[in-house]
Parts: sequence; structure tokens; C-alpha cells
Amino acid sequence: MSQMIINGMVLGMIYALIALGLTLIFSIMNVVNFAHGQMYMLGGFVVYYLYGVYQLNYFLALIAAALALAVIGIIFEKFFFRRVIRLAKREENTMLLAMGTALLLENLALFSFGEKQRGVPPVVTGVYEIGGGYLPAGRALVFFVALFLVIGLLLFVQYTRPGRAMRALAQDKEATYLQGVDINQISALGFAIGAALAGLAGGLLITIFAINAGSGTAVSTKAFTMIMIGGAGVVSGAILGGFVLGFCEAIGYETLPGSTTYLIIFIALILFLIVRPQGIMGRPQG
Amino acid sequence: MRDFRRSLFLAVLGIFLGAITLLFSFEKAVAQEKVLKIGQLGVMSGPAASWGLVNKYCIQAAAEMFNEEGGVEIDGEKYKIEFVSIDDKMDPKLAVSGMERLVYQEKIKYIIGPNVDTTAASVVPVIEAAGAINIAYAFSKALYSPPHSNSILGMIASYQAGPVIYKYLKENKGVKSISFIARNDSDPLNQRDEGVEAAKKLGLNIISSTDTYEPGTTDFFPVMSKVVKGNPDLIVLSGVAPADAPLLIKAARELGYKGLLSTETAQDIKILNEVAGKYAEGFISVGGASTPEIQSDYMKKFVERYKKVAGEWNDEAGTKVYALQMIIYTLQKAGKAALTDVEAFKKAIPEVKVRNPFLKEERILKYVGTAYFGQPRQIGVPMIVNEVRNGKFETLFIGSVED
Amino acid sequence: MAATRKVESERVEEKVREGGKGKPGILSSVLPFSLSSVLLFFLGLIYLIIFPLLYRDSRYVLGVVINASMLSVISLGVWLTFTIGRTNISQGAFALIGGYTTAILSVRYGVSFWLCLPLSGLMAALIGALIGWPILRLRGVYFAMITLSLTEATRLAFLNGGDFTRGGTGIVDIPRPGALSIAGITLIPAFKGSDPLPFYYLAASLLVLTLISLRRLTQSRIGWVFRSLRQNEELASSIGINVAKYRVMAYAICCFIGGLGGSFFAAFQQNIYPATYTVTDSIYFMLYCFLGGLDYLFGPVVGAFLLIISFELLHSIQTYQTMIYAIIMITFMLWLPNGILSLRFKK
Repeated sequence: MSQMIINGMVLGMIYALIALGLTLIFSIMNVVNFAHGQMYMLGGFVVYYLYGVYQLNYFLALIAAALALAVIGIIFEKFFFRRVIRLAKREENTMLLAMGTALLLENLALFSFGEKQRGVPPVVTGVYEIGGGYLPAGRALVFFVALFLVIGLLLFVQYTRPGRAMRALAQDKEATYLQGVDINQISALGFAIGAALAGLAGGLLITIFAINAGSGTAVSTKAFTMIMIGGAGVVSGAILGGFVLGFCEAIGYETLPGSTTYLIIFIALILFLIVRPQGIMGRPQG
Repeated sequence: MRDFRRSLFLAVLGIFLGAITLLFSFEKAVAQEKVLKIGQLGVMSGPAASWGLVNKYCIQAAAEMFNEEGGVEIDGEKYKIEFVSIDDKMDPKLAVSGMERLVYQEKIKYIIGPNVDTTAASVVPVIEAAGAINIAYAFSKALYSPPHSNSILGMIASYQAGPVIYKYLKENKGVKSISFIARNDSDPLNQRDEGVEAAKKLGLNIISSTDTYEPGTTDFFPVMSKVVKGNPDLIVLSGVAPADAPLLIKAARELGYKGLLSTETAQDIKILNEVAGKYAEGFISVGGASTPEIQSDYMKKFVERYKKVAGEWNDEAGTKVYALQMIIYTLQKAGKAALTDVEAFKKAIPEVKVRNPFLKEERILKYVGTAYFGQPRQIGVPMIVNEVRNGKFETLFIGSVED
Repeated sequence: MAATRKVESERVEEKVREGGKGKPGILSSVLPFSLSSVLLFFLGLIYLIIFPLLYRDSRYVLGVVINASMLSVISLGVWLTFTIGRTNISQGAFALIGGYTTAILSVRYGVSFWLCLPLSGLMAALIGALIGWPILRLRGVYFAMITLSLTEATRLAFLNGGDFTRGGTGIVDIPRPGALSIAGITLIPAFKGSDPLPFYYLAASLLVLTLISLRRLTQSRIGWVFRSLRQNEELASSIGINVAKYRVMAYAICCFIGGLGGSFFAAFQQNIYPATYTVTDSIYFMLYCFLGGLDYLFGPVVGAFLLIISFELLHSIQTYQTMIYAIIMITFMLWLPNGILSLRFKK
């Protein structure tokens, strides 16, 4: 039981971080970033090379991963998404563009980093025992860094000027423009932060999981599930969605034969969305 | 604008039609020197990319080595080795069209791959119709049993390794209870079922065998929690991909598991060390002729060449190096006729008995599998059971497939 | 803004009322009439008669064209859901349902393929209608994401189907189509051994039939209703159209076509596994539609043939194949967002 709660908490925190990046980009630009998982994977590779291979300090490597992905995010927004959003007659166009970029990143990674699975030595070692359950120190570290990042992001969005501009942009594009906000700049910033969050998640998780060039798609699918549960484009929804999925997985794997867990999660998701299409926290669509 | 659009459209159309003509009138120029063409079909992109890529790198490295010697000799004539490689993306539709391309367009008779049950089963009708032979890396028994006779299993199937490993552990390490965990996919599930059967026969106490995880899972903590709770003497990771093994081991150890862990598939030491670190100590797996202390000089040369081709060594290659070598031995035995007629190749299969060139110690290399398939349709790769000691694979014992 | 909406609404209303009568259909409205029919006639002639005669002995070429034809058919279903304004990533699920229906019926109960084929389509359509009725209330990316989950859920359901679906081991040795005879007269002889030619004719006829039916459908009143749903569902509803009914109808037809495709491939490849169709396949079906152009009935066909044949051509630069796919996708969205056909047939 306590193992289940520990598993659920750690997974939920990690998932919340992943879902936040995705939902941020969605709220600002109305784009589902299919390449989110691939960005996660790239962040992991940055940490692998800097920390695992070149033995740099882990936290420096993590910051480098965030910066690298932020740059990629800006490039994506500036050269790809901005133009397509302007030209598109249908929103499917941005969706397909996002799928294209996901495929591109995955293949670039396959050529440059090879096909092998990568992992790094643990940053901290040891295992804590809490009420009969085990919590390895590496997971505890990931949990607290993720918690710190999530709180940091919430404060940023809530209290800083660019953060407020982002929230405004998510609500009403034209009104935001009329208030003298440079829409392009804020969109690029939003994309950069979203991508950096994915990179940070990858950089964090490579210490306890491992990655390879193809591991992005599974992460994307999970991230979609989370933001559908919580409500797309809503920050609180992303966090909630992350925790709901984290606990579902932890409970499911503990009590059900493994393979049925995700089947039940998907069926439950479809039933849930029939009742509440906008997710738990989302605004009704229209 | 309209004119521009029209001309652009015509240009695209023109290129497309040109391309089609090119495709359909595709005829390779006849090479001057004698050439033995080998095909390779396998998954070389996506999460399982390493399975097919290792096949490809092995062929490439071995072919370079043969060609530098002037080629391989069949009936007194030297043949250079050329190979064509196709990515099936683990999609049966692409495997079929890829195989059709190899056998009809490239006119290749000997193909290495594919790598999983779904693709291997889909190409069977193609190779049978075309009269070709393929060396597959899928474990389904039906592929190699009559009425089929054109597929050869290129490695040791887990259901063959399982009983040998469990027996050894029961006798030498006092294992009495066993649990299984498998990826939720055709191959691993089949391997688990065979493993459970073998354990039952040995009289081991099966504590759990229904736990599975989804392909693409990265967090094995939840699923492992459940397996570890049963506290078996041995946890078998059925059909585990090299990528997942270290994560599963790490999760088990971090959850306080003290018993043994083993798998029946080939693993990669680098990733085990990188990800699982000290937790990997004592992990038991099956390897090819790859552990340094048993390598022949020829194998050492091959390892060096493989590193040049692929960038770094992969222990999976220790098993996969056998495919091309066995095709060549069999062709040499069967003679020139087999280059165009696989029936001659099939006739020569039972007669192939050579010294295993990859091992230091003297061992016979031949086709096996009669006990399982009713006909010799498996390469007799030595079953080298490894244990991780001090971050390296060390050979626990060398077994062989019962024939 | 209000003014344009009014104009649009009048236009939609008018077209729905007219029921498409007297108006040229989707194809002839975009093509100069004579040219289009002549061109189509010749293309059809080449495709159905000349091509198979020329390449009768080349299994590889026939195999590629069979794949392209049937994937076009499956994608045409997705195209239809695009006309009602939904991004559908669930077609892989219905191809899987169709494939398993054929596999289970023919292997377990020995039902003839010629009965399995329509039954597979109907089974997919039935399940599609049941699931579609509630989920079609979602729109945009929400619909896209839930259909993506549906593909995953279906794969997992077949994987966990126990003895009935044989789980991960899949169903193998599915028999090839036997003879079809009615009242003692053999209409279609049994498909022999490994000859791909009968499969070619079957695939080609299915494609032509699907195209003709969909063309009739899009030209009819229903076709106009579908398009009016894409433009504005509230408006369509306000002029008395039963929106839910038409949405489900489009989706069920799409699923029917997907089921047919799955059934065909099950008999063609003689096996089916839960992993035979995945999310990637569902995405590729969409990609074919986009590449050809969503506004054109021939869009998915052009897209599928172009991508699949270029896929074969790109074998010489094989290593970079998927990368080139990705670049094609990005380039198209950047510079040719309405598909290849938009170059010539300006709407």
C-alpha cells in the first residue's frame, strides 16, 4: 500500500512536469506538440553526453539541456509553426506539422546518437524505507527537483510580466495584441519554455530510467492522456492529469495483470471524456 | 500565378511519372566480377531499431573482411559479397514488400532477417513462392516446422535456453521458486509461456507468471513491486529487450530483492553498466561468442571491424555474426548450384559440420533443431550463459541446444 | 465578420436545400469537364487492364501497387471524416477490427472470405457507430487525441482477448480466398497459392468501387450536409439537420471502409497480430489524405501512391528514408498546405 502511494507520487510528479510543457504550448498557440516526447528524449541525450560521458556536474548538464531545448523550441516556433498557423485553413495542418517535426527529431537523434539505449550513473545512491515501501534516493531527488520546477513555473506564470502576457494570450489573442504585447515574442517564449520543460524532464528521468532515440512516442502518448484527463491548456489541469495518470498506473500495475492496466485506463478515459469532454479542469470547448 | 501553379503541377507530375518509370524499369547492371548477393530485412528504426541494425552491421563487417581477402570461394571460384538492406519498420506490410523487392527485384536467394514473429510470419509465403532461404530471428516454432522449410532460426530460442539455465540454477544455486515478467508483445509472451512450461517440468515452484509491462514503459517500479513481493529465488525477464533489462534489474534491486535475475535473450554489457551499474552484478543472460575469454583470434578481428562499422561493439552481435558465416559454409558444401537453387542448399544443410571459427576452444558448428522443429532448421549457435561479474560478462557455462 | 457569416450560412442553406441537384459534383466542379472524364477514363483503363497485363510477372511491382491501392481505400475512409471536420486517428483500430473479424471467422468457423469481407466491414461499422455516437461530440484536437487513444485501446483489447483472439501470438495461416460461386456458377475462381494477380484485381476493384461510391455520396445531398457540418455544426443544426445522425453516418462509413481494408490485408498477408495496425498506421492514413489534398476525393489516392512508390524508390538512400518522410511532411505544411492537387485544381 505505501509502496503504491510512493510509486504514484513520484510518477505523478514526473508526469505533471511532462504535461505542463505540453499544455503550456497548447494554451498559447493551440498547437498539440507531437514532438514533446522527442524533446524529452533530446534533453535526456544532452545530459547523457555532458554528465554521463564528459563527467560535467549534473545540475550544469541539466541546465544545458533546458537551454538546448529552449533554442530548439524557438527555432520551431519561428520557422515552422508561426508560418503554418498563419497560412492554415484548418487546425489539422499544425497537427501534421507537429507530427513531421516529431519524426524529424527522432531520426536526427537516431543518426547522431545511434540506436542504443543510454543511461547515466546515479547522481545520489541509497534507498529510504518509508512505512514498508521503498524510495530510492535517485527517485527522491527527481521528485524534489520536479516539484521545485513546477512551483517555479507556476510562480513565473502567475507573477511575472511575460507570464501574465502568456496567460492573457491563452485567453484572448486580439485583446492581448491590443494591449501592446508582442504576440510573436510571447509565443516564441512560450514554445521555448514548453520545450525546455520537456528537456528538463528528459534530463531528470535519464538518471532513473534510460532513453533511446525511439523512446519519445510513448512519452507523447502518455502526455496526451494526461492533458485530456486534466483539460488541455489549463496549468492546474496538467498537474492534476499527471497525478491521476501516475496513480492509475501505480495502482493498476499493483493490482491488475500488467497488460490490462493501460487497456482500462484508455477505456476509462474515453468514458470519462464522453461525460466531461473538456477534462477535469478545462473550459468547455466551443 | 495560375501559369506558375500549372507549371509547378506539371513539374511534380513529371517527376513522379519519371520516378515510376525508373522504379519499374529497374534493372541492375551485370557486375564484372562474380558476386554473391545477400539480403537483409529487419527493423532498423523506432524503439527496436537495434535488432535489425546489429544484423546489418554484422553483415557489413563480415562482408568487408571477406572481400578484402578477395571474396569467398565456392567451387574454386571467388565471389565478392554484396548486400542489400531494407528496413521493415516492424510493419508486416513493409516486410512483405521489402522481401518481394529482395527476392524478385534484386534476385537474392539468401536473406538474413526479419527480427520478430509478425514480420517473419508475413514473409514466409513470399520466400516460399520465390524459392529463397531466410535466416529469421523470431521464435515461433511454426516458422521452422514442416510444411515450411525455407526459414532457418538464426539464434537460440528462449524456450531452448530456459530449461538449460533453470536446470543449472536449480542444481548449482539451489533455486526452488521462480517468477516471470514479460513485455506485453508476441515474442516475449510466447517465451514466457515456454519458460513456465519448462519450470513446471523441472518441478520449480512458480510464484507468479502473469505480470507484464507495455512496450515503451520506462518506469518499472510499479510492476516490479508486485513481482518482488512474492520473493522468489529467481526472477526471469522473459524476452527482455536489451534496453529494458537494466531498468528492470535496477527496479528489482532498489525494491530490496535479493534473489537471482536471469533472462534467455542476449544482452548488452555497456547499457547494463550505464543504467544498472552495480545492481547488474550476478545477472544471468545468454550471449553469443562474445565474451573475451572465449573469443578466437578471428572473432577478435571481427569485433575490431564491427567497431569500425558501427561505432561501438554490441554484444547482440556475438550471436548474429553466425548467420552470414553459416550461409557461406553451406554454400561451399552445396557447391555452385546452390547459388541459384535453394533445394541444393537445403540438401547440404545436414552435412555441414565445421569447427566453430569464433570460439577459442574446439567446438563443432552445425545445424540443429530437429528436436523442436522436426528438421534441422536452426543454426547451432553455442549457448553461452553469462553472468555479470565486476561490470563484465563472464561465462558461467557453455551449453548447447539438445538435438 | 457577421456579414460574412450570414453569407456563408445562406450559401450552406441553399446548397443543402438544393440537395446538390444540378450542381456539378466535387470532381467536375474542379476539373474542366471533358478533360477530367477523359483523363479518368484512361487512368482507370491503365490501372485496371493495361498495368496488370504488363506487370503480370513482376510480383514485387504488383505487390507495391496492391499495398498502395488498399492503403488508399483505407485512407479514403479517413478522408470522409475530414469532410465533416474531424481529424480521425482511429482508422488503424477499425482496420484491426476488420482483420480480426476475417481471421476469426475464417480460421475458427471456416466462413468463406467472400462473406468475411462484407461482414468485417459491417462489424467495424457497427462498433464505429456505437463508439462514434458519443465521441463525435468532441472536436478538433480533443477528437484527434481520443481517437489516438482508441487505436491504442483496440490494440490492447486484442492483445488481452485471451483464447478468442489468441493474444500476442496472433492468428496465422488465414486461408486465401476460395472460389465464389452462386447457384453452381463460379463467379470468382479460388485464389491459387502465391499468385498475386487475383489480389491485384480485388484491390483494384475495391479501390474503384470505393471511389465511385464516395463520389456519388459526396455529390448527393448527404455530401453537402457533411460539408456543412465541417463549416458550422450549430448552423447546420439550426436549419433542421440532425447533426448527430450525419456525424455518426460519416464515421460509420469510414469504419466500414477501414474494416474492408483490414479484411483484405488479413487474407493477403495470411496473418494478423495486435501490432499489425498501430497509431503510426493511423497517422500515415491521415498523412496520405493531407499530401494529396483534403479538398479532393482523389487526394488520399494521390497521396498514398506517391508516398508508397517513392518509399520504394528511396531504397537506395534507405538510411534516410524516414527522415525524408519527415521533411516532406514539414515542407508540405509550410509551402503546400492544401496538398498536391491544389497546385492544379484551384478551389
